[in-house]
Amino acid sequence: MMKKVLEVILLLLLLVFTPHAKGTRYSPPGKPALTRCRSPEKETFTCWWEPGSDGGLPTTYALYYRKESSDTVYECPDYHTAGENSCFFNKNDTSIWVNYNITVVATNALGSTFSDPVDIDVVYIVKPNPPEKVTVTVMEDKGWPFIRVSWEPPHKADTRSGWITLIYEIRVKLEEENEWEMHLAGQQKMFNIFSLRSGGTYLVQVRCKPDHGFWSEWSSSSYVKVPDYFHREKSVWILITVFCAFIFLILTWLLHMNSHSLKHYILPPVPGPKIKGFDKQLLKNGKSEEVFSALVVSDFPPTSSNYEDLLVEYLEVYIPEEQELMLEKSMDLDVSCLKSEGSTSDSDSGRGSCDSHTLLMHKCGVAKEEERQAEEARRHQKDWKEEASTYAHADMVSPDMSSGRVKTWPSVFSPLPRYSSNQQGSLEMAKQHYLSDSLFPPSSKSSYHTQPGHGTTEALGPSYWECGLSNKQPHLLHPEAQAQRQLQAHSHDNISSIGRKQTPDGLHSPALRSTEYVEVQRVNEEDMVLLQPVSGRGDMEGYPQMPHGEDYSKVKGVDRDNMLLLQREVREETENCDTLSTVTTTQKPTACIHSAMPVQEETVLGVNGYIDTATICTLPTC
Amino acid sequence: MHMMRAIKQGQWAVLLWPYLLAISIPLDCRDEQGGLSRCPSISQEKLLDRVIQHAELIYRVSEESCSLFEEMFIPFPLQLQRNQAGYPCITKALPIPSSKSEIQQISDKWLLHSVLMLVQSWIEPLVYLQTTLDRYDGVPDMLLNKTKWVSEKLISLEQGVVVLIKKMLDEGMMTTTYSEQSLFQDDGQPEMLESVMRDYTLLSCFKKDAHKMEILLKLLKCRQNDIYSCA
Repeated sequence: MMKKVLEVILLLLLLVFTPHAKGTRYSPPGKPALTRCRSPEKETFTCWWEPGSDGGLPTTYALYYRKESSDTVYECPDYHTAGENSCFFNKNDTSIWVNYNITVVATNALGSTFSDPVDIDVVYIVKPNPPEKVTVTVMEDKGWPFIRVSWEPPHKADTRSGWITLIYEIRVKLEEENEWEMHLAGQQKMFNIFSLRSGGTYLVQVRCKPDHGFWSEWSSSSYVKVPDYFHREKSVWILITVFCAFIFLILTWLLHMNSHSLKHYILPPVPGPKIKGFDKQLLKNGKSEEVFSALVVSDFPPTSSNYEDLLVEYLEVYIPEEQELMLEKSMDLDVSCLKSEGSTSDSDSGRGSCDSHTLLMHKCGVAKEEERQAEEARRHQKDWKEEASTYAHADMVSPDMSSGRVKTWPSVFSPLPRYSSNQQGSLEMAKQHYLSDSLFPPSSKSSYHTQPGHGTTEALGPSYWECGLSNKQPHLLHPEAQAQRQLQAHSHDNISSIGRKQTPDGLHSPALRSTEYVEVQRVNEEDMVLLQPVSGRGDMEGYPQMPHGEDYSKVKGVDRDNMLLLQREVREETENCDTLSTVTTTQKPTACIHSAMPVQEETVLGVNGYIDTATICTLPTC
Repeated sequence: MHMMRAIKQGQWAVLLWPYLLAISIPLDCRDEQGGLSRCPSISQEKLLDRVIQHAELIYRVSEESCSLFEEMFIPFPLQLQRNQAGYPCITKALPIPSSKSEIQQISDKWLLHSVLMLVQSWIEPLVYLQTTLDRYDGVPDMLLNKTKWVSEKLISLEQGVVVLIKKMLDEGMMTTTYSEQSLFQDDGQPEMLESVMRDYTLLSCFKKDAHKMEILLKLLKCRQNDIYSCA
């Protein structure tokens, strides 16, 4: 009894003093800890613990458990099956109905240490073994290969009866890559993998998990090599691409072959007026004579058919009541003629309505006809082109001489009435053409432009005369062409001779010697002014003598009854006509003009036109 | 002597005092956490679910074994003569509600007890079945495995029902089974056909009872949720 009491006291002392015992090297063991408990099939389970420090002394470990509802403490039945520091619970000891409360105790010579208790519910600690018998095969689906993976659940897990329900997961990767491709397979034991790279080697692994529990470890890798296959879809695309390229090549070739015609179709060349026989090179060379000679067309004047083709409209001559009106209009025409003249220094003017200088002449001429009728008789007619050259010659010879008189040209031009807007335009064109063809010296041209108000009927008359005549009456013009040209030439000469009173005979071509005068005969039904040569008419004063002041028939105007009023003019002295240069000096020019007996031809021309009274200075009083 | 033993036991108790402390703190756990959970006990709902699942499994396996046995051993004409004359089910005598009306009137307590009675009454016959099946020739392994499995799971089910009763009804359990021996009698070595017929009857009866167990447990569960919508 005493011994027992002593034992108890000793034990108590031990208990009390164990914590205070401060062994330098030895100490009670450290606290162990339960690391994990796992059940592979929900019928058995194993618990592992981690021992703490052993305190330098040999330490033993014991696992005690208690079932949920009872207070009975049991010790682990099996310490060895599952390895070191483990406890294995077999089937008889495992119950899914109750929780387990487990504690590990570490004991050494100096004491015991308890771990923290852990509650275990067997259902929730299930971690199955990895799936078994993983087979991977390559199969084909309409030429496209795929991998079929099949496996079996771990043999311990009772999935057949439904005791455990497992879900599976597969991962795949190419041999040389690092990224895994995961697939969840559910409860099925077979899975297909598509979209494979041809010729690649794949690794496949499978794992499983119960509905409550942990994922198993991955099964060992299964290798599979996908055979090389050709993308059938790709081949179709390649075929289509080749076909399209072929078609494209053919189209390009066709395009190249027809590039010329296509170019013409898409970008039609801009037509430009070409003067037949006009050579740019010659012009560049500076030999205008040659140029002009090249322009000479043997078949000028063109036949009536040509004229009719060329003409867009008929000229309408308008005879105003007042001479001023006529003057104005003539001046306008002059202006327009001059203006257009300036821009026609090149042969390729591109003016549609004035492609033919004949048209231009015509229009100019009609305007002048009213005023220059008096001068008609004395004018010789020439070819337009010859005239142009003549003019050129004349002007070249006497640019200075005519400079002063040249100024009169505008005035000469201006009184011409405007028959109509069209006509004026045509007259302008005619003027331009006339001027361009004649290639007046720049001075003269400029003078024409600068002094639109001036009008000497002298210069204008013939030119207009010729314009109109040549355009409208081809058949009549022929005989008169010479006269016209001569008239013009003559008028030029007159202009020049105004200053000098010389006859630049040399300037004129021999054809100028004989000048014919034409007078307006009548106006036919087409509003064409018909002129007829007049020779030796009494009222035409002034036989065509170049050096002397001569009578020029000028278009006085067009009265309301569409009568072209022509008047003759005898110019004896040029000085008087010098004053014609100024627009304002209407009196003097008129004096000049009127020096000759202003015999008004009573020829009636049915013309329609407009006379700009503002510019006319000479005619009204004549 | 007694005092010494008591002291020793006291020593153990003292040694294990932190352990006791942990026990004395019950934690109500309802969440399902894998691994080392802190829940000291399984909740009643979870327990009931597991029991029901258990019962379902047992029924399914028993059904499979019965049909297997039928194919193997019973000639076709006799297959239609289940439970006719011959061999009534052993559990016929048990006070178990069988009709729907009876089941609706029974209380929860009686439900559980009925289930427990059924389970307990079938443990031994199944063990016997195992032995008789071994005696037959050409018995497929699958059948044997199934029956073995069923007998094991039945024992487990019994444990579960006991725990459930304890939880739900808060009453201790008498682990003593009913006197099933009286229900089942081993008559020695009967004739082949008779034996087969008896076994066949046994299996089919068990199949029906397993189904009944499942139904009762499901009804109980239904009652737990909503007492008025259960049929």
